[in-house]
Amino acid sequence: MNRIQKLDLLKKDLRSFQPGPKNSITDIKGVRVGHLTINKDTQDQAGEKISVRTGLTAIIPCDMMEENRLFAGMHGFRSNTEITGYQVTDDFCYLNSPVILANSRNIGRVYNAIFSFGFSLGRSEIWPPVALGLDDSWLNDLDKFSIEENQIIRLLQNCSSKPVEEGSAGVGFGLRAFGWKGGIGSSSRIFSFGGKKFHVGVMVASNHGNLFSFNQKKQGTAKDSAPTPGSLNIVMSVDIPLVPYQIKTVANSVVVGLPSIHTMTNNQDSVTCFLFSTANAMSLKNEGPPVFNYRIAGDSVLDIVTRAGVEAVNEALLNSLLKASPVEGRLGRRVETIPKAEIRKLFSKKGSSTGI
Amino acid sequence: MKRRNFIKRTLGGASLLSWKALSSGIQDESRMEDFHSSNQRKRAREIGIRIGDLKTGFYNAITDVEGVKVGHATIVKGEGKGAVRTGVTVVLPNKNIQEENLYASYFNLNGWGEMTGIAPIEQTGRLESPIFLTGTLNVGIVYDAAVEYLTKNNNKDHGTIAAPIIAECDDSSLSDSRKRMITGKDVFKAIESARGGLVEEGAVGGGTGMVTFDFKGGIGTSSRIIPMKDREFTLGILVMANTSIRSQLRIDGFPVGKKIKGYEYEEGKSKSIILIAATNAPLLPFQLKKIAKRVALGLAQTGATSNTGSGDIILAFSTANKLPRGHSHEFLRIQSINDFWITPFYLATVEATQEAVINALTTSHTVVGRDGNTAYGLPLDQVQKIIKKYEILKEKHLE
Repeated sequence: MNRIQKLDLLKKDLRSFQPGPKNSITDIKGVRVGHLTINKDTQDQAGEKISVRTGLTAIIPCDMMEENRLFAGMHGFRSNTEITGYQVTDDFCYLNSPVILANSRNIGRVYNAIFSFGFSLGRSEIWPPVALGLDDSWLNDLDKFSIEENQIIRLLQNCSSKPVEEGSAGVGFGLRAFGWKGGIGSSSRIFSFGGKKFHVGVMVASNHGNLFSFNQKKQGTAKDSAPTPGSLNIVMSVDIPLVPYQIKTVANSVVVGLPSIHTMTNNQDSVTCFLFSTANAMSLKNEGPPVFNYRIAGDSVLDIVTRAGVEAVNEALLNSLLKASPVEGRLGRRVETIPKAEIRKLFSKKGSSTGI
Repeated sequence: MKRRNFIKRTLGGASLLSWKALSSGIQDESRMEDFHSSNQRKRAREIGIRIGDLKTGFYNAITDVEGVKVGHATIVKGEGKGAVRTGVTVVLPNKNIQEENLYASYFNLNGWGEMTGIAPIEQTGRLESPIFLTGTLNVGIVYDAAVEYLTKNNNKDHGTIAAPIIAECDDSSLSDSRKRMITGKDVFKAIESARGGLVEEGAVGGGTGMVTFDFKGGIGTSSRIIPMKDREFTLGILVMANTSIRSQLRIDGFPVGKKIKGYEYEEGKSKSIILIAATNAPLLPFQLKKIAKRVALGLAQTGATSNTGSGDIILAFSTANKLPRGHSHEFLRIQSINDFWITPFYLATVEATQEAVINALTTSHTVVGRDGNTAYGLPLDQVQKIIKKYEILKEKHLE
């Protein structure tokens, strides 16, 4: 019931394109997603209580058995978190590994586990691992718990093309957005171009807007540490054939095209959009041929992809808030699900300077 | 044979200038002889400098990339105070770049310079205009003329014109550049004179007033052939060199600049270099960006350190994927080199860039400019001797 489709106000605004059958990033053929949620209370050696409220979310962009390179690119707006594989994505513009969202503590382990995963498949190379870092230290004892490698590999083996579980799942378990419970959200859109149907799929991890004033009173007691800047992490996938400069343009436009309410809430939140196209996979069996032949979409498709993408990001973000169940974590903090009235305030035309 | 005639032609009236230098500046007889012979300008290969291992193209010029044409308009006016030594060089990437766009990218090695029209190239990856190289203060006039040229040739059904690419180096030490003597006519003359085959080098076109490594610099070009499985690709470089100081100059690794005697350039104002890379290999914009970065490595081999006041800007384009104009087409068929096979292009880029810069030095004759400022042509005899010495030393060392 609390999927965004049920909110009349937003339905109209968010649906100029049809969503895909799963309304999820897994509408893109070949894309699989999996969550690993970790919720446990333990004690450290000194007997102090440790609340672990964290997890991982993995996106497998294509068949990992073979070495396929997908064109990829990203745009970071005030990016202040770790993005591994940054240089290769920037320079060589391809993606050849799973994309894993993790808290900053676990980036190294995730990085290493992606190598192990690749070798376990019999691949000679899986490079570069892409791990996006998030800060879930509001609810999670970030410094005191690390995920084991075999858990990560198992997660990668169990990714599925089912609709993505949203809300407080995977890395979304410890996240907080606009002072309310944030987490994972996903959505997709169908658009037609050149007489053919294509998809754009989006998955977000919302962890931003916590310094924003809408929910100022709820921001904890004086005992709490000051809220930290966060990030909105967008992973976007398309099945239309785009080449790197087009991908960069779309990633850039999507970030800019988001309503300012998502991005301008304070001057420290970051927005990162990582985009890959599953068409034109470069097969590198025996190093591949010297020259690849591609069929690519013309630039006129870029604004359609951008508009569909922004719509999907908006819906995914709303899903991430609406689907998130309350979580109680570190220092007895409890983060609640956002009430619908607050949603209206946040996302209605009145609440946002640009509207959606 | 062709080449010899060609060099004579490029020397033309400008060699008169050097005679003036002779009478005004140089008294020592031995140096006079030296100066005389150093004025027989030759390309690096013609005086035995062989950079790198790869084969050069037929003309050893950017025009070895099929379809690329180069044209110059040289402006030499007046003597002494208020003398003008400037011009414009144009690189036409193909027959009609407006209707048939090409992939391109750029690298900003040191941003103290101007290359207009770059923002759209970064955004769309497309080259939609010829490339003009000129003096700093000429940029506005050349831009204006380029707009006129593009508008004239524009098929209005396809929309408005793209932003032209005008790149600059500061030629104010040899030229009274504030006069801005260049006109639209000169720009059109350069475009009309553009042709394939041999490229005029040295103190011509945009290179007329340029000084590099404290010697007379200007336009230089070179090319390399890249063999690949069953086919060959060509990569060509054209530079407008106005950069670095004498003590830095290295030719094929030898610190030649430190050893040359005489021919001091007192003005000490050399700065900036513009480098253009062209290839007929199918490279996408992100791959061309890599090529552009390797151009910077080639520049480094000449000893240049991209000094703070040097605007070192690099543009690379590929003539392989021919893109119909506009953004309305739905799907395109394109090709791209596999990244695994791209390394030989880097070698070719570095070699050709180094040779192009050296060619700019060896082909430039002495120019007396504004206020009698004299930039000497690199004394080829001395250079040959110095390199020979180093080579003998090297061989002995290896023994």
